[in-house]
Amino acid sequence: MFYKIVLFLCLPSVLAEQLCKPNAPDGLKVRLSIKTALDSEAYEWNRNEKFLFQATIAFAMSQYTGQEFKVSNILVCDETPRVSFWFVVTSPANLSQLMSKGVVELAVRKFRNRINNAFLLSDETLEFVGVLPTLASPVEPATPPWLIVFGVMMSLVSAGIVFVLVSTVVQNKRKRKQKRDDQDDDEETRVKTVENGCDGVYNTSFSEDEPNTRM
Amino acid sequence: MAKDARDSWGSPMEFVLACVSYAVGLGNVWRFPYLCQMHGGGGFLIPYLIMLVLEGVPLFYLELAIGQKMRLGSIGAWTAISPYLGGVGLASVVTSLYLCLYYNIINAWSFWYLFHSFQSVLPWAVCPANSNLTGPLEECEKATPTQYFFYRETLNISPSIEENGGLHMGQALCFLLAWVITYLFIVRGIKSTGKVVYFTATFPYVVMLIYLIRGMTLHGALNGVKYMFTPKMEELANPTTWINAATQIFFSLGLGFGSLIAFASYNQYHNNFERQAIIVSFINSGTSIFSAIVTFSIYGFKATVNYETCLERYISFGTEAGAFPVSHLCLIFCLFQAVEGAGLAFIVYSEAIKNMPLSQLWSVLYFVMLLLLGMGSMLGNITAIITPLRDFKVVARISGVCLLCLLLGLGFTTTSGNYWFTMFNDYGATFSLLFVVLIEVIAVSYIYGIRRFEKDIEDMLGHRPNWYWKIMWAGVSPLLLICLFVFYVVNYIQGGTPTYQAWNKDLQTEYPVFGQAFIGLLLVSSVSCIPLTALYVFCQRKKHAQQHKQQLTVNTVAA
Repeated sequence: MFYKIVLFLCLPSVLAEQLCKPNAPDGLKVRLSIKTALDSEAYEWNRNEKFLFQATIAFAMSQYTGQEFKVSNILVCDETPRVSFWFVVTSPANLSQLMSKGVVELAVRKFRNRINNAFLLSDETLEFVGVLPTLASPVEPATPPWLIVFGVMMSLVSAGIVFVLVSTVVQNKRKRKQKRDDQDDDEETRVKTVENGCDGVYNTSFSEDEPNTRM
Repeated sequence: MAKDARDSWGSPMEFVLACVSYAVGLGNVWRFPYLCQMHGGGGFLIPYLIMLVLEGVPLFYLELAIGQKMRLGSIGAWTAISPYLGGVGLASVVTSLYLCLYYNIINAWSFWYLFHSFQSVLPWAVCPANSNLTGPLEECEKATPTQYFFYRETLNISPSIEENGGLHMGQALCFLLAWVITYLFIVRGIKSTGKVVYFTATFPYVVMLIYLIRGMTLHGALNGVKYMFTPKMEELANPTTWINAATQIFFSLGLGFGSLIAFASYNQYHNNFERQAIIVSFINSGTSIFSAIVTFSIYGFKATVNYETCLERYISFGTEAGAFPVSHLCLIFCLFQAVEGAGLAFIVYSEAIKNMPLSQLWSVLYFVMLLLLGMGSMLGNITAIITPLRDFKVVARISGVCLLCLLLGLGFTTTSGNYWFTMFNDYGATFSLLFVVLIEVIAVSYIYGIRRFEKDIEDMLGHRPNWYWKIMWAGVSPLLLICLFVFYVVNYIQGGTPTYQAWNKDLQTEYPVFGQAFIGLLLVSSVSCIPLTALYVFCQRKKHAQQHKQQLTVNTVAA
C-alpha cells in the first residue's frame, strides 16, 4: 500500500520527465541571450524566471486555443546555465498527452511580442529554435513619400519654365513694339527729306515706287 | 540690318565656372578613387599628374583656342580649319548625342534616391519583409539591402539583356524631371546656363568639404586614408597604370565632345583662355584627389564597421565553436572590394550613409551633390549639340532636341535598361573620342599648321604660345594618343566577344547578336563621320570645279 502511494506520488514527475526530453518530437528548444541583450542590466536566470516563462507560455496557449492552461501544463527540462532549455506543453484535459508542436508554435508566434516583453528581450535574444519570427507589418502610407517630393520639385520646375517662356514672349513683344516705333520715326524723316527736296544722296534701296533704275 | 550678334557669357567667370562644372563630374567621384585603389594608392598620383601635364592641359588649351578663334560650334569650327574636316565636328556631335541619351539616367537615379531620402528609415537600410511576414525577402537576404534597393527597387533589373519588361514608372518620372530641368537650364541659351553654373560648379565643393569633415571624424576613417596614401611603387612598372592614368585625364576633362569648343565660341575674342585652361585642368584634377580622400575615409569607415560587426557575430558563437582566431576570419570579410561606377555611388556610399547618425541629412546632401555634378556635365553635353545645330540653322528649337533625347532615353528606364546603359557607357564614347581627339591634334598641328595656329593665338591673346605648348601639340600628345588608341584596339580585339554582368550570375555573359551589332553600330556611326564627310566634301568640290570649268568654256565660246 505504501509503495503504491509512493509510486502514485512519483508518477507525475516521472511522467513529466519522460514527456519532456531534449529533441522530443513535440518539444521546442528555447535559447536566451540575456547578457547580450541587457548587458549591465542582465538578470539572473532562476526558478522564478522559469516560473514566469511557464506562465507566459500558459497565457499564450490559453489565449490561442481557448482551453485553460496552467503553469503545471508547461514542462521544462534540460536546462543549461547559458540559459537554454526544452519545453513541452501538456494538454489540460489529459496530463500525459502533449499538445502538438504546430499548435504551440502558432501560439508562440501570435503572442511573441508579449512573451518577448515579459523578459525585456527581442526575437533574436529570446530564440525559439525553429519558430520563425513575426515581423511587424510594414506601414504603407497612401501616397509614397517620394512621389510627394517629386510632385513638389516638378511643379517648381514647371513654374520656372513657364515664367522664363512668358518673360521671353513679353520681351519679344516689347522689342517688336520698339522696332515699329523706330520704323515710324524713320518714315517720318524720309518724308521730310523728300518734301524739302534735299540734294542728299538718294538711296534707291529706300524708295519703293521705282524698283528699277531709269536708264 | 546687322545679323544677330552671337550670344556671349555675362563675364569670363561664367565661362570658367561652366568649364569647371562640365569637367568636374561623376567620373571624378566614381572612377578616380577606384583607379587609385587599383593602382597602388598614392603612387597613382605620379602617372596621373604626369599625364595631366603632357596630355590634359595642352589638349584642353587646344580646344578652347579653336572655339574662341572660330566662334562657331564644333562642326563649323572644324569646317573652318579645313573643309574636309567637318566630319570631326560631326563625330563630336554624334558622340555627344549618345552621351546625352544615357547620361541623364544617372541624374534620374540621383533624383530617385534623393526623393527616397525623405523618410524616417532610409529604404535601403533594411530589407522589406516577405509576404508571410516571417522574415526579410529572400532576394534581399542573398544580397544586401542596399544592393536590393538599387537593383530591384530602383532598376527592377531583368535577368539578362534579352528579357525586357515594361517601363519602370518611377524611373521614367524621374527621367522626365531630369530632362525638364535640363531644358530649363538651357532654354535661354548661354544667358541662362551662365547663371546656373554659379551654383552647379560651387555647391558640390561645399558638400564635399562637409563630407570630408564628417568622413574624417568617422570611426575607422583614417585606416582608409592611410591605405590610399601608402604608395605601392611596383604598380608604376605596370603599363596598365599609365594607360589608365592617361585615359582618366582624357575623359575627365571631357575632351573631344565639342562642349569645350562650344563654350569657348561664346567668349570675347581677346579672352585670356590660356590661364583659364590651366586653372580649370588643375581644379579638375584637384577635385579628383579631394574626392578620393573623402571616398577612402568612407571606405575605411565601412570596412571597419564590417570588421567589427563580423567580430561581434563570431564572438557570440565563439564559446561554442572554441577559441579560433576570429580576427583573421573577419578580416577576410572586411577587405573592401574595389567598386567603380554606379556601384560605388549608389551602393557603397548609400551603405556607408545608412550607418551614420542623422543619415537622412547626409543622404540628401550627397545626392544633391551627385545631381549637381551630373547636371553640370549634362549642360556641357547638350550645349555641344545645340551650338553647331544653331550655327547651321538646322534646328532652332531646343525643345525638339530635348524631347527627342527624352523619348529615346526612356528605353533606359525599362527593366533591361541598365544593360543598355552599361553598353553605351562602355562603348558609346570611349573609342570614338580617342580617334576624334587624335585627328583634332594632328589636324591642328599638321594640316592647319602650327605656325598659323600660333598666329591666331597671338591675335587673340597678344603673345605667342610657349615652346612647351608647341612641343606638346606637335609631338608628345599625338604620340600618347596613338599609343592609347592602339592599346584600345588591341584590347578590344583580344577581349573577344564583348561580355556583360547579368543579374544573379557570377560569370560574365556574352552579349547576344543584336547587342554586338548595336555595339558595332555605336562605334562605327561616330567614327565613320570623319571619312564620309571628307569624301562628301571632296565630291562636292569636284562637282563645283567641273561646273566652273563648264561655265568658263561657255564664256570663251560666247566671246
